[in-house]
Amino acid sequence: MGIFKKLGWYFQQEKKRYGFGIFCLLLVALVNLIPPKVIGTLVDAMDKRDLTSDRLLLWLALLLFAGVGQYVFRFGWRNAIWGGAAKLEKTLRTRLFWHFMKMDATFYQKHRTGDLMAHATNDLNAVQNVAGAGILTLFDSVITGGTTILAMVFFVDWRLTILAILPMPLLAVMARKLGMKLHAAFAHSQAAFSRLNDKTQESVSGIKVIKTFGQEQEDTADFNKIVDKTITINKKVNFLDALFDPTTSLIMGITYVITIVYGGHLVLSSQISIGQLVSFVSYVSSLVWPMFAIGRLFNILERGNASYDRVNLLLQEKSAILEAPDAITTPAHGDIRFKVNKFSYPNDDHATLINVHFTLHEGDTLGIVGRVGAGKSTIFKLLLREFDQYDGVIEFGGHDIRQYALDALLDSIGYVPQDNFLFSTTVADNIRFSAFEKDQGEVEEAARESAVHNDILDFAEGYGTLVGERGVSLSGGQKQRLSIARAVITTPELLILDDSLSAVDAKTENEILGNLKGERANKTTIIAAQRLSSVMHANEIIVLEDGHVIERGTHAELLATHGWYAEMWQKQELEQKIEGETLG
Amino acid sequence: MAKYESAWARSIPMKEQLQIMKRLLGYTRPYKKQFIGAIVAAGFLAGVNVLLPQVLQKYMDDYLSHMNATTAIIFAFGVIYAVGTVIKAVFQFFQTFLFSMGSERGLEDVRRQLFKKLHALGMRYFDQTPAGSIVSRVTNDTMTLTDFWNVILSVIVGLFSVISSFVTMYVLNARIAMTVLAFLPVLLIVIWYYSHYSSKVYRHMREKLSELNTKLNESIEGIGIIQQFRQEKRIASEFEATNDEYLDSRKAMIRTNSLLLSPIINLLYSLGLIAVLWAFGLISLHSYVEAGVVYAFTTYTANFFNPMTNMMDSLSFFQDGVVAGSRIFRILDNTEYAPAQNPGASATITTGKIEFKHVSFAYDGVHEILHDISFVANPGETVALVGHTGSGKSSIINVMMRFYEFGTGQILIDDVDIHDYPMEELRTKLGLVLQDSFMFYGDIASNIRLFNDKITDAQVEAAAQFVQADRFIDKLPNQYHARVIEGGSQFSSGERQLLSFARTVVTNPKILVLDEATANIDTETESVIQEGLRRIRQGRTTIAIAHRLSTIKDANLILVLDAGRIIERGTHDELLAKQGRYYDMYRLQNGDVE
Repeated sequence: MGIFKKLGWYFQQEKKRYGFGIFCLLLVALVNLIPPKVIGTLVDAMDKRDLTSDRLLLWLALLLFAGVGQYVFRFGWRNAIWGGAAKLEKTLRTRLFWHFMKMDATFYQKHRTGDLMAHATNDLNAVQNVAGAGILTLFDSVITGGTTILAMVFFVDWRLTILAILPMPLLAVMARKLGMKLHAAFAHSQAAFSRLNDKTQESVSGIKVIKTFGQEQEDTADFNKIVDKTITINKKVNFLDALFDPTTSLIMGITYVITIVYGGHLVLSSQISIGQLVSFVSYVSSLVWPMFAIGRLFNILERGNASYDRVNLLLQEKSAILEAPDAITTPAHGDIRFKVNKFSYPNDDHATLINVHFTLHEGDTLGIVGRVGAGKSTIFKLLLREFDQYDGVIEFGGHDIRQYALDALLDSIGYVPQDNFLFSTTVADNIRFSAFEKDQGEVEEAARESAVHNDILDFAEGYGTLVGERGVSLSGGQKQRLSIARAVITTPELLILDDSLSAVDAKTENEILGNLKGERANKTTIIAAQRLSSVMHANEIIVLEDGHVIERGTHAELLATHGWYAEMWQKQELEQKIEGETLG
Repeated sequence: MAKYESAWARSIPMKEQLQIMKRLLGYTRPYKKQFIGAIVAAGFLAGVNVLLPQVLQKYMDDYLSHMNATTAIIFAFGVIYAVGTVIKAVFQFFQTFLFSMGSERGLEDVRRQLFKKLHALGMRYFDQTPAGSIVSRVTNDTMTLTDFWNVILSVIVGLFSVISSFVTMYVLNARIAMTVLAFLPVLLIVIWYYSHYSSKVYRHMREKLSELNTKLNESIEGIGIIQQFRQEKRIASEFEATNDEYLDSRKAMIRTNSLLLSPIINLLYSLGLIAVLWAFGLISLHSYVEAGVVYAFTTYTANFFNPMTNMMDSLSFFQDGVVAGSRIFRILDNTEYAPAQNPGASATITTGKIEFKHVSFAYDGVHEILHDISFVANPGETVALVGHTGSGKSSIINVMMRFYEFGTGQILIDDVDIHDYPMEELRTKLGLVLQDSFMFYGDIASNIRLFNDKITDAQVEAAAQFVQADRFIDKLPNQYHARVIEGGSQFSSGERQLLSFARTVVTNPKILVLDEATANIDTETESVIQEGLRRIRQGRTTIAIAHRLSTIKDANLILVLDAGRIIERGTHDELLAKQGRYYDMYRLQNGDVE
């Protein structure tokens, strides 16, 4: 019942809706008492042969009223209560979504996409069940159960009522116990299902190995074994599930037998009429559902409670990236001073950056090179404030970047990440992702600047072509260039290219770098790259190894030192030559 | 955001629906015992449901209303009713249990067939179809079939109930029974209208839900981009819009169900009841009506109407079943089979000579990837393939391993056409060491022997020792029985590579096909791997794709490939002397190594 209290805020907010729904439930229950009473009365009248056509019509009119009333009131509560549940789910989903939008990188390292999806789907479903089926069963059992029992007492006989409802609590107990067992068995069945899923996934991913070793039959045999196990497990679920109806019948059977024996005795001793007995039997059948529902109620509440707690736990997590109370709101621009003495990722002892210092004057270009894992992307993560906990300071335009409002800082930075994540919308909307107000002309300009305009024109629907699974499949180079267009459309103060030219050929790279130089006069750029030709024109180049700066200087200076940079340069020159031959 | 065309939006023509339904029903045939058992139980259940009210009716009319029941008779009726209830419970159990087991077994059969079919398909299919969608066909879509078969059960149960109630009413009082029957057309119209209308609303709702979840998923995966570009508000408001649309579609569904599902059936039941009572009332105005008959009639009227709700409710799953069925059949009817051998192929590989004669190949049958490839590898020799990504190295291996059927030309093994060897012979005598050492869930030993039970533990260990994988295996808890999790991610790529070697060594192939790994491997493991490779190659004809040219200096023949053609061929020394492409590549790599 605790979950009702936890969801109190929602019921408070929707009190009119739920009030109306419960009122309708009450009316349904009251109207429901009419048919058995009418049937009983008519039976008695027919039995005693004193029915007149006027009275018949009167009773039937009452019955018609009951039927129409039931229809109207049922429509009322269903709309109110099921609608309320749907609305709760929506409200919570919005809340979760907003929370997801605000959380930091640490949060996303801790929770995988699948987990977060499960919270937003399965858990929310269990919670909305409380606000729908939970509320319904609670009030329905109390109202319908209560009024029916009262009707039995007043219209028929209190002794018969007590005897007849004695077995009924068994129904609730059975529904609860079987429900719990079924739930446990169902969890097993779910686990079996995921094993089957994993097996299939593995076989499809490893299809080449299986074919290589000619293991198709053996793999199929293994799959069949898992299927056999699944059948055994599901047999238990099916068995338990098949017990519900028969058990209900048996328990109700006891009630009917009591009614036959004791009710018969009462009729014979003229304490009740035969019509009353008929009414009574009718009332008994409308008690089945409320009793059954009580048992089910506990299961609904239990699951809803656990799910609500899980969702709340998630909602309580806080982002480590906070905005200063008196944050600077003017967009950042100016020189960048990067002075990080030491940075390690959370829960990692290993230092990823050690004494990385550089100053970048407004309008200059910095090149960062080094092996995979040397710490290039980490520098960008700090600049973008994905992590705030480092020893040192990063300044943008003379202020610590942690003093800026996130909007003021990030709006000034255009970032092109390594993994070119694009959204499954149109090409144009992907380019104007950060500035939705940009018109087609500006979108095309950004595309030209990134040397992707001609590619886009070749797509079936040009800029209106959908990207992703349902749309065009893009090559790595096209994705990179679209990502660049997305970043340059706002002409940001600082543009960061994080190894974003690796999949484009040398000619296109040159074209893009040339365009950027022309369009971005007086704007700052940082380029991280494997390929040294991307950074050779930078004002300064730093070479990273294991988080340290091992070489720095201009292209010419670095060549002269005969270090890592110079060696890489020669190697890449040669590579270029071979590739040139391939192309030619 | 753009509009999606999802599976839910597509409506399948009636004729196709019927065909799919017929085929799906075919899968129930092996389990006709269960299905027929369930239907027979449902029939008996309908009978019991008719008889129990009769018992009460007899009791009331023959004894209670005449006030002539003795205690013995009262108890006798109690016992009869109790026995009837027990019988009813038994039938209820068997109806549900047998049917669910039948459909469970039926759907698992579909799964088995799908899985078997997948193994018959060629690599081309797997290259073109995302793994996720294949998996979902085998697991999720088959799951939907249960709901589909349940539709049929609920229709049958509904029919039994309607017919048995009607027949009994007809026997009791034909005219009044006909009055109830008059409601049937109304009922049918309601059912038709509901299933027609609700399936539209339902499909719309499902579509919105899948759109919602797609957006949610994408927003989580793209959170980095969203946050860096400060688009949280816009994305959230877009999500909000979809969320609202979904809520609206759900409300529409709730409204539809409230208007047309159980409440309307209940209303019709009330009207039916009024008609029945009216008819009895009119009779009683001039003649005697027995109380029990009225009671029985009211119960049968309820039995006549009640199953409809259930039936209508399950109808929405009909569409799901058809959609799932059509997707399943698309796999089962796929004809992109793996390459076939000549009928009656029975040659055996003895020496392991390989010859390619003017082989050309295109993945799609149009754009040639290999042109006119010819070379000979004599028994025990090593032929190395070098060249850039996309030059055709892997394609040579793919056609030789028979993953794909090549176009023109001929591949000979021991001077016999490759088509004349049974597939099993090729699989046992050609050992391929793959670039990505795919690990299966299980333990070390099972990953070395794969599913081949004929390989003993001793052989597994010997193979591991041979490639020096025992060095790290011995350090593991449980050694050869150490757990391997999905993808084997607890092992380094070098360790996985060694296990993959052991996998090949244990089958003792005549011919070795190597696809050298490009992954970064630490120097120590690297030397173990090179040593392992050297050992495996001994006494075997080897075709190797090499990325590190230093490893193939001793090859008998090196083929330099470019755009699907052999542009240079010769030994290491010959090619260096030529000062061509190979020479450049070698210099490049040497600069890196030294």
